[in-house]
Amino acid sequence: MEPEPTLQPLKHIVPAAQNNINTKFILLDKGKVTLEGQYKTCLALVADETAAVHFQMWGDECNAFEPGDIIHLANDIFSYSRNNLVLRAGKRGKAEKVGEFTMSFVETPNLSEIRWGPDPCDSRKYVQQAVISPYSRVFSSPH
Amino acid sequence: MLIKVLLHEAENPLEITLREAFCCLEPKLRPPFPLTIPTQQDYLDLNRAILYGVLCEPHFAKVHIKHLHGVITDGYEYFTSILIKIVNELYFKLVDSVKRQLIWVTHEMVNVLAVGFDDLLVALMRQIVGGDFGEENLWLCFEMVNLFTSKWDYFIEEEPLVLSSALYVFLRLLADHCRVLSIPKIEALRQMEIDFCERMLREKLYLCLRIGRDLVRLLQDLVHVPEFRAIWKDLLYNLSAFRTDGFVDISQIYSTRTSKFYFLLRITPEMESQMRFLMSDVNFGSQKRYQIWFAKKFLALPERKTVLVDIVRFICCAHHPSNEIIHSDIIPRWAIIGWLLKCGVKNYVEANLKLALFYDWLFFDENVDNVMNIEPAILLMVNSIPKYVDVTHSLLEFLFILLDNYDIERKEILLRGVSTAFCSLVRKGVVQSLDALTSCDMLSPFLKERLGKLLSETQFPLVPSLFVKCEKSSSLHTDYTKAGCSN
Repeated sequence: MEPEPTLQPLKHIVPAAQNNINTKFILLDKGKVTLEGQYKTCLALVADETAAVHFQMWGDECNAFEPGDIIHLANDIFSYSRNNLVLRAGKRGKAEKVGEFTMSFVETPNLSEIRWGPDPCDSRKYVQQAVISPYSRVFSSPH
Repeated sequence: MLIKVLLHEAENPLEITLREAFCCLEPKLRPPFPLTIPTQQDYLDLNRAILYGVLCEPHFAKVHIKHLHGVITDGYEYFTSILIKIVNELYFKLVDSVKRQLIWVTHEMVNVLAVGFDDLLVALMRQIVGGDFGEENLWLCFEMVNLFTSKWDYFIEEEPLVLSSALYVFLRLLADHCRVLSIPKIEALRQMEIDFCERMLREKLYLCLRIGRDLVRLLQDLVHVPEFRAIWKDLLYNLSAFRTDGFVDISQIYSTRTSKFYFLLRITPEMESQMRFLMSDVNFGSQKRYQIWFAKKFLALPERKTVLVDIVRFICCAHHPSNEIIHSDIIPRWAIIGWLLKCGVKNYVEANLKLALFYDWLFFDENVDNVMNIEPAILLMVNSIPKYVDVTHSLLEFLFILLDNYDIERKEILLRGVSTAFCSLVRKGVVQSLDALTSCDMLSPFLKERLGKLLSETQFPLVPSLFVKCEKSSSLHTDYTKAGCSN
C-alpha cells in the first residue's frame, strides 16, 4: 500500500484552489439532500479535536455518510462554492468512512464561518481576517 | 468475500491481511500439500490463508481444515485468536455465508480443544443482541444454544466454566424471549434455551453459583416461566433437590459479588467501546451528540431498550474510571446513568434499571464489594437534587421498596447491606456526608425519616458521624477508587 500522507488537523486548513487536504473528522449533522442539476448535494457539519467546518457532500456521498461517522478525506479541497466556504472531495478527492463515534471534536472555531483575505506577504495565499460567527450559523447545536 | 463493504467505506485492515495471505498462498492450498516445515512467518501466513479459505470457500472447507490439522504446531492458538478478532471486529459486517462457516469452524475448534476456544465462544455470545428478534440474531442464539446442548458432556469434562457464561447469557436472553409471543420460530428456540438453563440449574448448580448474586437477579426476572418458578421454589425451600454440598441458603449467593466478566457478556464490543469512550474522552456538557448517536444505533426500537439494564450493570461494575478521570471534566458515570434512566422505557424495564443500579447495595460487604460499584447511585441521587429532585426521590423510594420487598425472609441481610453501603460511601469520601439527602427540603419528609431511621438503627459505630461533615473527607476523596477490592 502507498504510504499515507500525514493528516492535517482541521484548524490548519486554509482555502486554496488545490486538492491538497488530507484529514479525518467526525460528521456531526446533515442538512437536507437537494438536487443541483442532476447531482444530489448535501451540506454537513463536521469537526475534529481542533475545529469544525462545513462539508459539502455530492452524489452518493449524501446517503453514504450519517452523523457519528468518522470520515477520512484524501486530496480534498477547501474553497468557495457559490459564495459558501466548504470542504469537499471534488473530482480528484476521496471521502471514506473509517469508523464511528469514537472521536473527540469541538464545534468552534468553524472555519466556514471565518472571513478570509489575501495574505499581505503572499497574495496567492489566504489568511484569517475575522470571525463571522464562532459556531455554525447553518447547523444548531443540540444543547 | 468476507464482509459487506458499503459505498464510501474504507477497506478493513484485518480483512485485507487475510485476503492477501489467501491470494498469495492460494496455489498451496490445494492437495497435495507440501511436507516442508514452514518458517514462523510462513506458518502465520498459512494460518491466515487457510482461515480465509475456510470462511470464503465453503465447498473446500473440509480440505482446508484437513490442511490446517496437518500443519498446526501451536495448539490452534493463533488460528483461534484471528477468529476471535474477526468476531469482535467484523461480525456484524460478515457476509451471511461466512457467518455459517464461522459457526462450522467454531465446532471444529471445540472438537480439537483449540487453545482459546472458550474465548471464541464468549466472543460469539457477545454478538447476540438482547431484544433483537431479527432472523439473523435469533439464528445465532439457536446456533450457540445448540452447540452448548449438543456438546454438554464434553464441556462439563473439558471447560465447565464456559457453561456458567452460557447460562448467564441465556437466562438474560430468556427474559426478552419470554416476553414476546408473536414471533414465529421463537418458540422452539425459547424451549431450547429453557431446557439448557434448567439442566444447568438442576444438575450443575455448583457451576451456576460461580456467577454470584446476579444469578438471582436474572432468575427473578423469569419467575413467571413455570420451569424457573419451580427452580426458584426449590432454591428457597428445598435445597436438597440440588444435591450441592455446602449450599445451605440462598443468602450464600447474595454474598458472592458477580465478576465484571459476566456483565461484558451482555453488551456487544461495539457498545462497550462507545460507552468506554463516552466515559473516558468526552467532557461533561459535550455529550449530547454522542448520546443521540448511541440511542439511534442501539436503543431505537422499544424492545431493544432492555439492554439498558445490562449497560447499567456494566457501568457500575465493569467500568471503574481512574482518579485522574474522576477529577477531570470528563462526564461522570452517574450522569450517564441519569441519561439512561430518562430514555423512555416501560415500567418493568425502569424497575429493572433501578434494581441494576442498587443491586450491590443490597448485599454490600466491605470485605467483598467495591465501593465503585455503588458510587454511581449515591452520586446520581445527590447530584440530581438541585435540578431533578424527582430522580432522587424515585431512586430513594425504590431503595426502600427493595428493602421492604426484595426478600421478605432475609430483610436483615438487606438492611445490613444498605446501611453498610451508606457507611462506606461516607467513610471512603465518595460523599462528604449524607446531609444533602437527610436535610433536603425538596425530599418528602417520609423518605427522610426512613433514611434517618435506617442510619441510626444500624449497629455500626461509624453511623453517628455520617451526620457530621467529615473533616478528612476531601483527602480521602482523592483515593476512594483504590479503596475497594479489585475485580
